Amino acid sequence: MPAKLVVEGLTHHYPDEYTGESVHALEKINLEVQEGELVTVVGPSGCGKSTLLNILAGLLPYREGVASVDGIQISGPGSDRGVVFQEHAILPWRSVAKNIGHGLELKGMVKEEREARVQDFVELVGLSGFEDKYPHELSGGMKQRCAVARTLCADPVIMLMDEPFAAVDAQTRITLQEELNRIAIATKKTIMFITHAVDEAAFLGDRCFVFSARPGRLKAIVDINIARERRIWADMNADDEFVRARDEILRLVREEVSVAVEE
Amino acid sequence: MLSRNNLNRFSAFWRHFPAANAINLTLIIIGIMLIWLVISSTIENPARYLPSPIVVVLSSVDMIYKGLLPSYFGDTITRLVVGSAIGLTLGIPFGLLLGLNRTVADMFYPLMNFFQSVSGIAIFPIVVVWWGNSDKTVLAVILYTSFFPIAFTVLSGVREVPLRYIHAARTLGATRYQIIRDVLLPGSMPHIATGSRLSIGFAWRAVIAGEMLAGREGLGWMIFTGQDADKTAEVILGMVMIGVSWIVLDHYLLRPFEADTIERWGLVQR
Ligand SMILES: Nc1ncnc2c1ncn2[C@@H]1O[C@H](COP(=O)(O)OP(=O)(O)OP(=O)(O)O)[C@@H](O)[C@H]1O
Ligand SMILES: [Mg+2]
Repeated sequence: MPAKLVVEGLTHHYPDEYTGESVHALEKINLEVQEGELVTVVGPSGCGKSTLLNILAGLLPYREGVASVDGIQISGPGSDRGVVFQEHAILPWRSVAKNIGHGLELKGMVKEEREARVQDFVELVGLSGFEDKYPHELSGGMKQRCAVARTLCADPVIMLMDEPFAAVDAQTRITLQEELNRIAIATKKTIMFITHAVDEAAFLGDRCFVFSARPGRLKAIVDINIARERRIWADMNADDEFVRARDEILRLVREEVSVAVEE
Repeated sequence: MLSRNNLNRFSAFWRHFPAANAINLTLIIIGIMLIWLVISSTIENPARYLPSPIVVVLSSVDMIYKGLLPSYFGDTITRLVVGSAIGLTLGIPFGLLLGLNRTVADMFYPLMNFFQSVSGIAIFPIVVVWWGNSDKTVLAVILYTSFFPIAFTVLSGVREVPLRYIHAARTLGATRYQIIRDVLLPGSMPHIATGSRLSIGFAWRAVIAGEMLAGREGLGWMIFTGQDADKTAEVILGMVMIGVSWIVLDHYLLRPFEADTIERWGLVQR
C-alpha cells in the first residue's frame, strides 16, 4: 500500500532580508507516514520541526524537494490536512460548538447535520456541557481539547500536531495524551505529532522520527511496538518495550543537544 | 474607635451598596447646584451672567410647554443618528478593505491621517461654499467627522488579528472571502466597538458646531441664538441637554457594547 504522506529531499532555507544570510532549517528530509499510523517527531529546539509542519500544512511555500499526501503534491493549505497549533488557535469569538463545527460550516454542511456531528466530537474529547462556553471561559487543557476536536471534526486525511500539549500542566498533559491515544484508536487517523518531550514521543508514537540539530536532518527512526489498547500511563514504567524505546530516543536526542551546545 | 481600618471597611461596604453610585452622583449634583445657586444670588444681573438653576428649570418647563425643546432635541438627535450611521456604514468596510493588504494600507495611511486632521470645524467653510447653510452641509460634516476615526481604528484592527487565527482558518479550508467573514471581521470587533464610540463622540461635537455655523434648528442653534437674544437661561439649558444626552447615550448604549465585545473576545478576564 502506498504511503499516505511522502516527503522526498525536502530542504528549506529562510531568507534573511537584513543580513542576507539565510537560515538553513531543513536538509534533505526523506520520510513516509502510512495510513492510520501515528508518528512522533522529536529533535532539539530550532531544528526545523515547526518548519516541516508548516510546509506540510501548506502555510509555508517550499522550493527544494517534494511533499505529497495521497500522491498529490502539497501546494497550499487544504482541509485534507488538519493542524493543531502549539499556541491555542481556536477563535475567541466562537463558542466551543461553533469552533468545533467551523470546518464543516466552511464546507457548507447544513446546520442540523453539522450539529449532530459536532456533538459526537464534543463527547469524544470530553467537553460535554461546555458547548456554549467561549474560549476565555475554558482552562488551557480544555482549549486544546477543543482545538483537537475542531481539527478532527473537519475530517482531514492527515492530522498535523505541533507540540499541542506543551503549554498545559503535567497532570493535564498525561490525561490529554491518553485521550489522544483513545482518539487514535477510535478514528484510525493518520497523525504526525511534534513534541520535545521524549516520554510523550514514546508513549504516543508507532514510530518516532528523531531529528538532528539545525539544519534538521532525519537522524534515526525508532519503532515502538506497543498495542494502542495497552498504552496506559500507569502500566508504562513496567513495560519493557516502552522503556527501551524511550531510553533510545533519549540517547539519540542527547547526542544532538550536546552537538548544539558545543557549537 | 474610628481607625483607618474601619474607614476602609466602610468605604468598601459603601462601594458595594446597591445604588451607592446613584446616591453619590445625586450628592455631587446637589452640591454643584448649591454652589451655582449661591454664586448666582450674589452677583449683579444674574439673568444675563448666570441665571440660577431654578430659572433654568423654569425656562425648560416653558420651552417644553411650547414644544420647542423636544423639537430641537429631536432635530439634533436625528442628525447625529443619520450622519454617524452613514459614516460608520461606509467607514467600517472601508477600513476593513484597506487593512487586507499591507501595501495598500501603508499607501493610504498618510492620506487618511491628513483628512482626519482636517476634521470637524476645519472642513466646515468649504462645505458651506458647496452647499450653503443647509441640512446637507451639517450632515456632510457629521459624516466626514465620524468616517475617519472608525476607518482608522478598523484598519489597525484588521492588522492586529493574530496570524495564527488566519492560519487555522486556512487549514480548515477557508476561502479568502470566508477568512474575511469569519476571522478578520469578527477579529476586529473590539476595534470596531471602540472606534464606533470614538466616532459617535466626534460626530456629537460636530452636530452641535454644525448647527451653530450653518444656522440649522437644534440644540447647537438654540445655545447660539440664546446668546444673541440675551436668553442666558436657554444657553445653559442647551449646554446641560448636550452633556446629559451624551452621558445617557454613552452609558446605556456605547459603553456596554464596547465592554461586552471586549469581554466576550477574552481580552479582559472576568
Ligand atoms: N519565519 C522565520 N524566518 C526566519 N527564520 C525562521 C523562521 N521560522 C523559523 N526560523 C528559524 O528556522 C529554524 C527552525 O525553526 P523551527 O521553528 O522550525 O524550529 P523547531 O524545531 O520547531 O523549534 P522548537 O522546538 O523550539 O519549536 C530556527 O533556527 C529558526 O530560528
Ligand atoms: Mg516549533
